[in-house]
Amino acid sequence: MTEIDPDEYEGVWVFVEEHAGEVMPVSWELLAEGRKLTETTGQELVALVIGEDCEAVAEAALAHGADRVLVADDPVFEPYRADPYGAQFRAMVEERKPSIVLIGGTHTGRDFAGRVAVPTHAGLTADVTEIDVDEAGILQARRPAFGGDVLATILCEDHRPQMATIRPGVFEAAEPDPDRTGEVERVEVVVAEDETMSEVLERVVGDRADITEAERIVAVGAGVEGDLEPARALAAALDADLAATRAAVDEGWIDGSRQVGQTGKTVRPELYVAVGVSGAIQHVEGMNKSGVVLAINTDPNAPIFEHADYGIVGDHAEVCHELADRLSGETPELIA
Amino acid sequence: MHDFTVVVGVKQVPDADEVGLDPDTGRLDRASAPAVMNPPDRCALEAALSLKDAHAARVIAVTMGPPMATPVLREAVAMGCDDGVLITDRAFAGSDTWPTSLTLARVAEHLDADVVLCGEETTDSSTGQVPPGIAAHNGWAQLTYVEALDLRPEEGRVVAHRDVEGGYEVVAADLPVVVAVAFGSFEPRPAGLHRKLFAETEFDPRELSAADLGIEEEVGLAVSPTSVGGMETVQPVDRQGEVVDEVDDLLGPIREAVA
Ligand SMILES: Cc1cc2nc3c(=O)[nH]c(=O)nc-3n(C[C@H](O)[C@H](O)[C@H](O)COP(=O)(O)OP(=O)(O)OC[C@H]3O[C@@H](n4cnc5c(N)ncnc54)[C@H](O)[C@@H]3O)c2cc1C
Repeated sequence: MTEIDPDEYEGVWVFVEEHAGEVMPVSWELLAEGRKLTETTGQELVALVIGEDCEAVAEAALAHGADRVLVADDPVFEPYRADPYGAQFRAMVEERKPSIVLIGGTHTGRDFAGRVAVPTHAGLTADVTEIDVDEAGILQARRPAFGGDVLATILCEDHRPQMATIRPGVFEAAEPDPDRTGEVERVEVVVAEDETMSEVLERVVGDRADITEAERIVAVGAGVEGDLEPARALAAALDADLAATRAAVDEGWIDGSRQVGQTGKTVRPELYVAVGVSGAIQHVEGMNKSGVVLAINTDPNAPIFEHADYGIVGDHAEVCHELADRLSGETPELIA
Repeated sequence: MHDFTVVVGVKQVPDADEVGLDPDTGRLDRASAPAVMNPPDRCALEAALSLKDAHAARVIAVTMGPPMATPVLREAVAMGCDDGVLITDRAFAGSDTWPTSLTLARVAEHLDADVVLCGEETTDSSTGQVPPGIAAHNGWAQLTYVEALDLRPEEGRVVAHRDVEGGYEVVAADLPVVVAVAFGSFEPRPAGLHRKLFAETEFDPRELSAADLGIEEEVGLAVSPTSVGGMETVQPVDRQGEVVDEVDDLLGPIREAVA
């Protein structure tokens, strides 16, 4: 078994996830939260950027709170693949020994995190929604367990780094400060193309909406049976963003970037309207921080009514249209 | 006979819909919930069986757990798997995802797997870490959130559609490979009557212990980097739960919410 000296490990690392220069918002959320940890430990906040031509991303990481940015810049990293990312990240961890590593719990983050944690024998906690660090530098990573009824605190006392993937949308990003300065360091790239085990043949990315900041949300579920028009009309009348359950996403009616729940986004709008949504715990976990929750469902026994402030039993198309009609006249005042 | 071996990891979990609160302690009572196969694993089984249909691959279901977990292997065999392996040992107790994925990695080697298929994550611990962990322990390629899978024997690799934020990608990966299937893709087939009868009356799983895999010292609590520091019951969010009769009754609450 690997014996290590935890005192040799220092600093908080945040992985900044970018694809073709576009940064996933969770990265900035983690830099803001990582800042709070370093205020307790008095250590450095380091951002890690892996990609191709990522100078602009590195500068943005400084503006978002990093003290130092480590950049692994090479064509082998674009587009993303688990094996080169994992190998590069692992090499950097082994060389520089960070104490804490935070990674966004996106498909990308959850894909490669294990390729760092396994060979370094690090502790890796998944799907974390609260973090704290104690005086001794031990990370308290809290995550919902058993369908969200319990919050478990996961510790990693004897191994380093202490790694966690963090659910997107649970922390707030800080306003970037373009005047912040810090060091941008290009690191040695340890991966060569001919050593890779995978090849991206095609990558199609369209709608990458960020619903985590939305003030109002109309979410559709399987109950709309592919007819999104009524929900769209209601969303327009409310000036709301459209979101969905995983079932609706799986049907292909709406893009996965708009999925709310355990394996989607965590949202906290002032108003959440659930349309044709049954109220499965994996969905509710992502929306129960909302202000007021309304539910529209044909089944009076649907669990969603227990997770809603107000509900109405009825067909989605009828209720949405009627509501949209009533509201469309007054939306300007609503916004004001 | 078989050119390819596909190993599918399946797990027994408490039925999420049936987990209730213990009235005395207020804690979750998982023990009394019936045990079922982790629903995402059924998608992995379907993906494996579709490889069997197309390439005459041999499909072996494996599960780590006590002998009580055997029903998930029977279910897998009933769906069409050729064999089932129960990986069982007291030494595994207290394992987090590090030793768990090590164990499955050794099993995959032991069974000469070309493809290891897993569900996206389990409904009881929902880390999703085991499939990449298996790949990392063996130094194999991996593909997660896979929605469609094609084995290309002549190229020695698989080609998959992966779900990524805002779209998808088509990725090829060298064999051997670990594939985690996106929950909701690969509609699981029903068990055939004949196969079901076989699974229930004739099938007995092969058993493998930590010693059989040569990993007695590398599993269990002692090598698990993470530990549970505490559990708090989350207060359910207080909702009014008021069901109104008329659409007009919703206007007031909406106005108030967005005021
Ligand atoms: C590992 C894992 C992770 C998951 N992650 C997520 C996640 O992140 N997000 C998520 O949402 N789910 C997630 N799920 C899936 C979750 O368990 C549910 O299956 C899903 O949320 C159900 O979606 P739904 O409510 O749209 O569909 P259903 O459960 O099918 O509900 C449809 C509802 O529509 C109602 N309805 C039918 N017709 C009408 C009509 N005409 N008008 C109005 N209402 C109507 C029905 O009464 C029903 O209540 C996950 C599951 C697993 C196993």
